[in-house]
Amino acid sequence: MATVTSYGQRLGNRVAVGMIILALIVFLAPIAWIGATAFKPRNLATTVPPTIFFAPEVSPFVKLFTKRVQLKPNEKVDYESAPWWERIVLDGGERISRTGRGEVQLSGYPSRFLNSLIVAITSTFLAVAMGTITAYGFSRFKVKGEADWLFFILSTRMLPPVVVAIPMFLMYRAVGLNDTHLGLIILYTAFNVSFAVWLMKGFIDEIPREYEEAALVDGYTRMEAFFKIVLPEAATGIAATAVFCFITAWNEYAFALIMTNRRAQTAPPFIPSQVGSGLPDWTVIASGTALFLLPVAIFTFLLRNHLLRGMSFGAIRK
Amino acid sequence: MRMLTKGLVAGLGLFMWSGTSVLAQELTIFWAEWDPANYLQELANEYEAQTGVKVTVETTPWADFQTKAFTEFNAQGSAYDLIVGDSQWLGAASEAGHYVDLTDFVKENDVLSKMAPATMKFYAEYPGNSGKYWSIPTEGDAVGWSYRKDWFTDPAEMANFKAKYGYDLAPPTTWAQLTDISEFFYRPDQKRYGVAIYTDNSYDALAMGFENALFSYGGELGDMATYKVDGMINSPKAVAALDAYKKLYSFAPPGWAKTFFVEDNQAITENLAAMSMNYFAFFPALINPASNPNAANTGFFANPAGPDGDQYAALGGQGISVVSYSQNKEEAMKFLKWFIQDDTQKEWAKLGGYTCSKAVLESSEFRNATPYNEAFYQTMFKVKDFWAVPEYAELLTALNQRVYPAVVGGQGTSQETLDALAADWKAIFAKYGRGN
Amino acid sequence: MAEVMNRLDPKSRAAARGFSDLAIRNLFVVPTVAFLIVFNIFPLIYSLGYSFTDFRASSKEAANFVGLQNYRDLLADPFIWTNFTITAKYVIVSVTGQVLVGFGLALLLNRSFPFKGLVTTLLLLPMMLSMAVVGLFWKLLYDPNFGIINYALGLGNFEWLSDPGIALYAVALTDIWMWSPFVMLLSLAGLSAVPKHLYEAASIDRAGRFYVFFRITLPLVAPILLIAIIFRTMEAFKTFDLAFVMTSQPTTELISIRLYKMAFQEWQTGKSCALAYIVLIMVLTITNIYVKYLNKAKQR
Repeated sequence: MATVTSYGQRLGNRVAVGMIILALIVFLAPIAWIGATAFKPRNLATTVPPTIFFAPEVSPFVKLFTKRVQLKPNEKVDYESAPWWERIVLDGGERISRTGRGEVQLSGYPSRFLNSLIVAITSTFLAVAMGTITAYGFSRFKVKGEADWLFFILSTRMLPPVVVAIPMFLMYRAVGLNDTHLGLIILYTAFNVSFAVWLMKGFIDEIPREYEEAALVDGYTRMEAFFKIVLPEAATGIAATAVFCFITAWNEYAFALIMTNRRAQTAPPFIPSQVGSGLPDWTVIASGTALFLLPVAIFTFLLRNHLLRGMSFGAIRK
Repeated sequence: MRMLTKGLVAGLGLFMWSGTSVLAQELTIFWAEWDPANYLQELANEYEAQTGVKVTVETTPWADFQTKAFTEFNAQGSAYDLIVGDSQWLGAASEAGHYVDLTDFVKENDVLSKMAPATMKFYAEYPGNSGKYWSIPTEGDAVGWSYRKDWFTDPAEMANFKAKYGYDLAPPTTWAQLTDISEFFYRPDQKRYGVAIYTDNSYDALAMGFENALFSYGGELGDMATYKVDGMINSPKAVAALDAYKKLYSFAPPGWAKTFFVEDNQAITENLAAMSMNYFAFFPALINPASNPNAANTGFFANPAGPDGDQYAALGGQGISVVSYSQNKEEAMKFLKWFIQDDTQKEWAKLGGYTCSKAVLESSEFRNATPYNEAFYQTMFKVKDFWAVPEYAELLTALNQRVYPAVVGGQGTSQETLDALAADWKAIFAKYGRGN
Repeated sequence: MAEVMNRLDPKSRAAARGFSDLAIRNLFVVPTVAFLIVFNIFPLIYSLGYSFTDFRASSKEAANFVGLQNYRDLLADPFIWTNFTITAKYVIVSVTGQVLVGFGLALLLNRSFPFKGLVTTLLLLPMMLSMAVVGLFWKLLYDPNFGIINYALGLGNFEWLSDPGIALYAVALTDIWMWSPFVMLLSLAGLSAVPKHLYEAASIDRAGRFYVFFRITLPLVAPILLIAIIFRTMEAFKTFDLAFVMTSQPTTELISIRLYKMAFQEWQTGKSCALAYIVLIMVLTITNIYVKYLNKAKQR
């Protein structure tokens, strides 16, 4: 009997591993395609039939970071004295746009990428911090009308952004928050905090009160108990919440588009803008996308052990 | 912890501060993200070299251009001093006071004699024939066609075509020929198709595509002065035009249900279609061998004539306007004054802009500069545009809701479709108290 | 704010040192709630107020009070009802798909195997992309002429996005691809919290797999799974970028696309605010039902 079970288990495990590999292929194929396109020469990006094998190039990344215009027929260019990265662009039938003083004009990508980092990191930190303490408050203390307050918090995320955008824009203009990093940080924090509260409450509810009460008996203050007992136990939840909040803030499009101009613009509205010159350069869109995926992927990978540790010790419910 | 807090507060303060600093002697022009905007930036660099005034061209993707511009206008924002706006916006932007009235500027600087008449009419004047001007024509544009020269000049194809249709295979001069050639090259088994047209109904693409048929067939959207639409948009000529557009769709490549300038250009570069409609502004990509492997084999022609010899194309393009809420209006006017000079316009054309300057357009230098400039020059004197009233977007929505299912889904007859559209438009005009 | 909070749980009074529990509760809860109220009250009142007017943000003319006219017009507009039907179909298909795929993946991953951390991170990649970019690329992937999907699966000219009957499901499929990982990650966190001794007890009792799944696993994961469903439903209801970028079929015009056109292309601000409120009431109702279930699941 025992051998049969273990054989069955091993078989089950093997089937599961097979299915995980299949899932990896299905979920990663489109991303692999984007990643491959990021290194393709432009003329192989959209072909009939699709091109799978090719010699990789860095030209999409050079183009991503520079402002370019198409070469006109018979336009004279100084190919010989151009540095290698400029030749790449010239080979692609474009020249790098220059300022009046002859400096290379960078595209909007680098500054927007930096703005994205500032806004997403700060707002994620704030949303997770506020979400965690508020969830703890709701979880451990009696709050009159708790269910209604929680529902209110949830409801702040229900209005479609297109509706909130106009009044929000007017409000921001009135207080001078439009086109500032702070404005976007506040906006994304507000947007994410409802999610953070709900998710964190789900996790903190699962941590037995007995742990803190034991600590209180041992002479901890409530604050100490929160920081030293509850927070470590809630690490999985915090990690998951942080990942989700970061992803939302990192990729937000509608408000970033409407609320910001030159100073505080983030990258998401910029990446698809490469379709504007009559023929999209898919390789540049792909390189912009791939590069933009890296910070979130790294962030998630670093938190993976927390994400997977699970909700610890056992007694999920009393 | 305190250090962290201090750092955060200092950081936030810095953002706030950087958010409010405004440099003098600086102008911001807003436009969509495309090559002409980059050319304009290069032109503006020369202005900076001459005057010391720094001009920045700020851009946003085409799909968001209208949204972003009007959100800023409606909140009376001063982020942009000048804007290169679509011709349909004239009504909305002038009636709501977003644009500075340039009538006096136009008269004082004799702009009317400098720019091609059609461009003043469609990019600058509102309401029609009122003599009030709101913009300076900047980027002239209209719909033209590209085609595969190598397919058209293949001896076997030419012989087969002649045998089947009784005349020589050549770039079409009438819509009947356009349809014949589309049918001739429609070969799904070879993954080759006849024609690429606009079908995207998320904004104005489908309307612009259909207009090419409508105007050349002698149809009209309606009476631009009285807002009468019944009997015009659903006239027999308009119905014939819609039939023609539906017919063309049947010769389009598969999956041709949300197509605009990108897809239509790709139809040429990826060997999908024999002919493709597109704005002239997107043709530079087709003569560039790096972006179009068929660049040497791509030719261009103007929108063909209809059965009665009418020949018009749908207008694109933009004029530059001064934003009413700008804090640098005087500087902006100075820039415009510089922009309309003949030398500047010549330079603008040289950089790649589609100038609207009469002198430059008529010069042989310009007309021979590219394979499509001649077709562009001819077309710019034969253009018509969509409604420019403030509620044009509602008119567009109605057109999309009626015409899209007819073209792409093959639903209903053309007469039914356009009767319904006429009724929709009549209701919209009634709602805003126009006509009647 | 303080008045609405009730007195505290007497049990926790033990902590007399440091901050009092009352102070901690207020410190933890009040700022967030106050922040959200301040931040949301203006847009909500603004929208509600204008929903009773013919206001156009793009026009100089003052808003006129029109009573319930906007609501009446909207509810009588057959196009709007089509939009709602499409949205309902979309939400059901895409959320169901995400829950099935996401929970299925979580069950698969809920065991120890090599490179588990890496595999999980890789599976989360789709949801890390921006919706607009996903839309752009999937439009390319679905393309019958140069898309990789038809080529790889040998589907020839199969028209994913231009066939009016299929386009909505093609968009939903992309949504499922993108957001199943979200459900997966939350389910995984829930699954790993199921106490091992419950499974051991079940295996001693020789309980069947289905019994274990429906009586032990599912009830214990239900609360966190329901939170995932609540958020996915709300987001699916609001789906805009994805469908807007991928197709423009009348059969894929979700309510938020109609709303966008009304608010930002046509600038019918008053009417669009009314439509937004109709949407809000619907989402509130649906979410409320979910939350009731959630509370029930927690009490079990």
